Amino acid sequence: MTLSSGMQHRSPDRVAVTGRILEGYPKEQRYTLAMLQDIQKEFQFIPRESMELIADYLELPLSKIYSLATFYKALSLRPKGKHVIKICDGTACHIRSSQMLANELYTLLKIRPGETTEDGQFSIEMVNCLGACAIAPVIVIDETFYGKVTPAKLQEIIAQYGDAFGQSDRSGGVAHE
Amino acid sequence: MKIVIDGKVCEAERGEYLLTVARREGIHIPTLCHNDALPGLASCRLCIVEVVEKGWHKVVTSCVYPVSAEIEVFTASEKILRMRKTLIMLLAARAPENETIGKLMQEYGLEKPDRFKKENSSDCILCGLCASACEKIGAGAISTVHRGVTKKIATPFDDPAADCIGCAACASICPTGAIKVQDKSGTRQIWNKTFELLICPDCGKPVVTREQAEYLRKQMQGNPIEYSGDGTVRCERCKKASAADRFRTAFS
Ligand code: SF4
Ligand code: FES
Ligand code: FES
Repeated sequence: MTLSSGMQHRSPDRVAVTGRILEGYPKEQRYTLAMLQDIQKEFQFIPRESMELIADYLELPLSKIYSLATFYKALSLRPKGKHVIKICDGTACHIRSSQMLANELYTLLKIRPGETTEDGQFSIEMVNCLGACAIAPVIVIDETFYGKVTPAKLQEIIAQYGDAFGQSDRSGGVAHE
Repeated sequence: MKIVIDGKVCEAERGEYLLTVARREGIHIPTLCHNDALPGLASCRLCIVEVVEKGWHKVVTSCVYPVSAEIEVFTASEKILRMRKTLIMLLAARAPENETIGKLMQEYGLEKPDRFKKENSSDCILCGLCASACEKIGAGAISTVHRGVTKKIATPFDDPAADCIGCAACASICPTGAIKVQDKSGTRQIWNKTFELLICPDCGKPVVTREQAEYLRKQMQGNPIEYSGDGTVRCERCKKASAADRFRTAFS
């Protein structure tokens, strides 16, 4: 899937919100990452227009901002879900069947790691050791850790997050990077 | 100060890069990512040499190693050759079909690796010279994008490069010839974008792209490029020839 081209119209909301974020920073290149982090937090991803605005603001080529935005794992170019589910796939969790959790999540949410549900509620990421091997396998939703997770438990956990199973057709995820 | 490179006593300024000193002395050190006009990237690692300082041996990248003491340098010690071979094999794993890398392999008596599939191969060794040159010129149209195995040199969003002026500096600086430029029938294609080439009115050869001419004009705030009438540009040779002509008529 290609991202929309430069001719797209900008979303006025995003432009306004980004503008407000940028105003909080001096016009110096070293704040680029901090700006991007704020934007990620605000929109759950880095919209193209935000990158263009940063480039204008700092008088830098867009390529510089794009390079940074694609380099860091914490930044994504496609919208992430409201809730980010991290499945630990470090050695301990891997041995304790983290893959089964990924499979179970696929049955529940119809998305795989790297994807976001169509309603924008959830996205899944596979991550490396989270430093809690004693309670492997581990998943983290937003900031909350869940240990010794089993497929059955997973269903209960997910149910706590909003209208997770409200609609039956949570089909076809959208990939993000 | 005096340093010794491969047994030869060389004069060096404090802070001068080892590679610069060696080159001045005619001592060959292989490089891929080095260009005199650009800051050192130290990404290809090919220029490694062994430095001995007060009896301590260390391996350094000569392109970015400033001379600061009276050292002894070995550019082709057994250790360096071994390491350099490994480096070349790694580059070959990435760009097995590339000519430059092929020549290096030959020079170092290495066999083409057959462990890697051709489909994933590329000519780009991700040294970053092209992006650095583009930035230096002031266009900044390309950069390194993503990281790890998906890292590549690209324009933002892989779109036709908005900031590109079609100068093709990236292609000419690339040590492995990885960037495609196509000049034909008055146009240039590069980075997914087509440029009009301005033709020298005297000899009919393409000179620069229109965007490049405009860019230079803005940069120098004068008119360093000789535009004639309809916005055509003379090439260097014809410019010199016409200057010589004028000179002749003026003084004869
Ligand atoms: S395209 Fe050429 S100059 Fe650019 S990073 Fe790749 S090898 Fe280096
Ligand atoms: S491997 Fe999962 S927490 Fe260490
Ligand atoms: S020339 Fe020194 S690292 Fe490439």
